[in-house]
Amino acid sequence: MGIYTLRRFVWAVPVVFGVSVLVFMMLHLVPGDPVKMMLSEFQTTQEQLDLLRSQLHLDESLPKQYARFVWGALHGDLGYSIRTKRPVSREITDNLLPTLELASLGLLVAAIMGIGLGILAALKPHSWVDASSSVFALLGISMPSFWLGLLMIFAFSLHLKLFPATGGGDLKHLVLPALTLGLTESAIIARLTRSSMLEVLRQEYIVVARSKGLRESAVLLRHALKNALIPVVTIFGLQFGRLLAGAVVVETVFGRPGIGRLIVEAIINKDFPLVQGIVLLVSCTYVLVNLIVDLAYGFLDPRIRYD
Amino acid sequence: MRKRVFTVLSMLVLVSLVLGACGPAATPTPAPAQPTTAPQPTTAPQPTTPPPTQPPAAPKRGGTLTIGINQNPPTLDPHASPSAITFYILSSTGESLLYLTPDRQLKPWLAESWEVSADAKVFTFRLRKDVTFQDGTPFNAQAVKWNFDRITSPDFHAGAAAGLVVGYDHTEVVDEYTVRIHFRNGYVPFLTNAASPVLSMISPVATEQQGAKVNETPVTTGPYRLTEFVANDHATMERWDGYNRQPPWADHVGPGYVDKIIWKVIPETGTRVATVESGECQVIADVPYSDLPRLQASKDITIQNAAWVGSPLQWLLNVTKPPTDDVRVRKALNFAINRQALADTIYRGTGRPPVGIVTAALLDVPLLSSYYPYDPDKARQLLAEAGWNRTGADGFLVNDQGKRLEIQINSIDYGTGPREIDQWVQAQLQAIGIAVTLKAQARPPWYEDNYACATNGPIMLYRFGDPDSLQALFHSKNVGGFANWSCVKDPELDRLIEQARVETDAQKRTQLYVELSKRVLENAYIVPLVDELSVWALRSEVTGLKFNGFTYPVAADVYFVR
Repeated sequence: MGIYTLRRFVWAVPVVFGVSVLVFMMLHLVPGDPVKMMLSEFQTTQEQLDLLRSQLHLDESLPKQYARFVWGALHGDLGYSIRTKRPVSREITDNLLPTLELASLGLLVAAIMGIGLGILAALKPHSWVDASSSVFALLGISMPSFWLGLLMIFAFSLHLKLFPATGGGDLKHLVLPALTLGLTESAIIARLTRSSMLEVLRQEYIVVARSKGLRESAVLLRHALKNALIPVVTIFGLQFGRLLAGAVVVETVFGRPGIGRLIVEAIINKDFPLVQGIVLLVSCTYVLVNLIVDLAYGFLDPRIRYD
Repeated sequence: MRKRVFTVLSMLVLVSLVLGACGPAATPTPAPAQPTTAPQPTTAPQPTTPPPTQPPAAPKRGGTLTIGINQNPPTLDPHASPSAITFYILSSTGESLLYLTPDRQLKPWLAESWEVSADAKVFTFRLRKDVTFQDGTPFNAQAVKWNFDRITSPDFHAGAAAGLVVGYDHTEVVDEYTVRIHFRNGYVPFLTNAASPVLSMISPVATEQQGAKVNETPVTTGPYRLTEFVANDHATMERWDGYNRQPPWADHVGPGYVDKIIWKVIPETGTRVATVESGECQVIADVPYSDLPRLQASKDITIQNAAWVGSPLQWLLNVTKPPTDDVRVRKALNFAINRQALADTIYRGTGRPPVGIVTAALLDVPLLSSYYPYDPDKARQLLAEAGWNRTGADGFLVNDQGKRLEIQINSIDYGTGPREIDQWVQAQLQAIGIAVTLKAQARPPWYEDNYACATNGPIMLYRFGDPDSLQALFHSKNVGGFANWSCVKDPELDRLIEQARVETDAQKRTQLYVELSKRVLENAYIVPLVDELSVWALRSEVTGLKFNGFTYPVAADVYFVR
């Protein structure tokens, strides 16, 4: 297990290297003069263009620029945002926490709703419970999160006045966004859990467990669910990315700060240092999440061995 | 199995009924625009002062005012920000040397009086002696010098401020309360600029100490003090009880009424409207026309408008690319647009037909309607004169060589497809036989095409407080830059722009801009489309929102009436 973990970490190195090259080249692959593009909304003089060029070190050779970029990144220095003048690292840390809060609470909602509904549906296939969970899944998959978010605001904020519609801050502000994000994601988990559970429940070891006289809850949770979760965990890993992407929309609808909105604004404003910083961070997060998912398989199913 | 399908279906129907029931309120469907119908004369929306719904009572102190705005300010440093949204916020806390009223009068503010030299190169300001910054630093000539030197320092990336001190040479400290600001060339617009919140004075001492924090909580001299800024979330300002003067907009001496003003960033329009209906915000900016009728009907909400200064929303016609290189075609486009219908069907109370090449709020001289009334027949006749005299098989106009009359609009796309207004213009022109295509694209390539004069021009607007900014749109040196996207090199326009810039007599200066407007309209370098209004919704328990001469809100005198 230890060796496997180590090997996975070593494998992550070339991936991160590739990502850093791509991110670095982004600025240079965009057609046109990046400096001119960054200042396209202003009247500028040649001196101002040259000043910004030298401040961004764009007048140096490519390898030298890349070395500078990597060296800075390793020290947590990702340069300065063109638009806000603040360090990119500061922009990211300020916006990372709200997104992590939202994504993890959203994932929790998705897991509870999705796995719960999936189990219920699998226990009584083709019953009304199963049918409602199918409808729920269909709606969840097809309903765009901005629409669901507006419905949430309409119902819980405007009419029932239970939760505020906007803002970061305490848990109260997080309820509606997390529900919105979680509900849309729970749908696919519910479907997957259902089919996976149905398959496992047909296995002989379930019959054995039942005939041993185990309580039904123990049969379901310890024997069936744990085995049924392997594909679900894979999806969780993939969904983490979807959550980050979905967070953009949810963050915008609910007026919350976050990485999603930060990168969208950075792209619209051609704030290249900020875009580079965020893409680097998000790519590294993906690498890390995939690693965690791989390691989780081993916990769920000891038959998967790492040697 | 059949039973199961039926269960699923019936549940779907049930759910869709529930959703459908609450649907319309959350997403109003825009009524289709009807570009060809003749306009009904409607009562033009007037710039409103807050209607006296309550009997005048002594303003109440206290409370927290929450204002919903649609964008995140990149920085709150007045000198660094390129973005109008920063000045929505700063207009309630920052103070400038002068003040510009909505009817374009300059008033004393931090300066008691001012003089302009005959060549418009030297501006002398006599400062008030009773002003301190919120950190206790005295406001004096040295502080003014420090502010202007900061903006123009090569190490400092000035935002919009850089465009307001063009040709700055140096500031001379005459005595403790007198400064002389010297420019290399005559620069009359500096007086208006000195009243802009962009040139708010900030504390030299606090700014040197706070480093990058100046982007969050700059220290000013105004009635409210910025205390917190969380990007993409909110900015908070608290009443500064050390304020002991009467600002030019106020009816009383001393600081504002409410304890705290929170500016909340809510980019999603539907959400922003919901927050003023639920009371989470008491004021919101940028009310969309689609929600306007509902909010107007609500007894809890008051709507307040202010007409934007600057250029109207306009189509800059590229004079270097066929067929808009032909003045007859450009004139035809102007005759073919029904501006009243545009204001009525697309803007519905949030815009008015333009008067000329700048908005009525900036220069109220009606020119456009005499040059280009809505006259599709005249448009067709001009097109025929230009050679587009036959109708092709597909219904569009062709010339003798069989070439179709095609025009391409550079249309900015924020990710939701071409804008409704661009599509409206397209439909309006197709009705008289012009094949209009929209090159809908994201912001960076949109700019690239404008710089390269690659399309028949963009539909855009440009907001400014002094008509001198027309130089960006029409001076020949800005072809290939920001923002002469008509790509017009007209020595007469250059001459008028340069002359108006040094003309110290206000009436003569206005006359020069009228001449400039006529020259632009005669040659149909642009198609003015609509003057936009800044539309705000206030809950009826608050009153006192004002606007300055730059159409920015001043919330420092808002109070709760109950």
